[in-house]
Amino acid sequence: MAEVTFREANKRYRRAFIPVMVVYTIAVFGGSYLLKQFETPPTWLAAIVALIMAAPVGGVLWLMWRLSRETDEYTRQQQMAAMAAGGMITAFFSVVWGFLELYNVVPSLWTFLVGPIFFLSYGLIYCIGRRSFGAGFEK
Amino acid sequence: MINTLRELRAERGWSQGDLADALGVSRQSINALETGKFDPSLPLAFRIARLFGKGIEDIFDDGLGHMKKAAE
Repeated sequence: MAEVTFREANKRYRRAFIPVMVVYTIAVFGGSYLLKQFETPPTWLAAIVALIMAAPVGGVLWLMWRLSRETDEYTRQQQMAAMAAGGMITAFFSVVWGFLELYNVVPSLWTFLVGPIFFLSYGLIYCIGRRSFGAGFEK
Repeated sequence: MINTLRELRAERGWSQGDLADALGVSRQSINALETGKFDPSLPLAFRIARLFGKGIEDIFDDGLGHMKKAAE
């Protein structure tokens, strides 16, 4: 594990996060604009645009992973607990929705929403956990 | 785990932020340590002990130390 302080780890995260978000915004708007130029965009082009749009999200996940490795152990404990809880909520929600969908109780869910559901549940759990329990909220 | 971190910090007139900076951790970590909500890893416990020039057992007490002494 890299030997950086809590402050340095956060600085490194912010320094990389902003450019990645700029790339994401450009990719989303630029890609959409490019595809609109075609009546029926070729599949290969649509696939490339979609992958370019998704790549920065992978970058953010990697930055979150790096931050969790570089930050102090207390913050890491909180983040890991929130990530695990967020992942479990997302998985459980997907399974529940999947069964409901199987029996035509609910409409088919856009797979695209799984990402935001994870980030939202992770963020909420992180904030609620910190506020309610203060420390690594496994105690 | 009980610890004397708050007392040691107060003796030196350090704020939680000062101690956090000296250890390279967040202020929240120090607060969690002092309130007993968080137990440090062995490497962090060593860093804390070295910073105060004390042994780990002089700062942290898992509550079983008295049993060991009684057995001796």
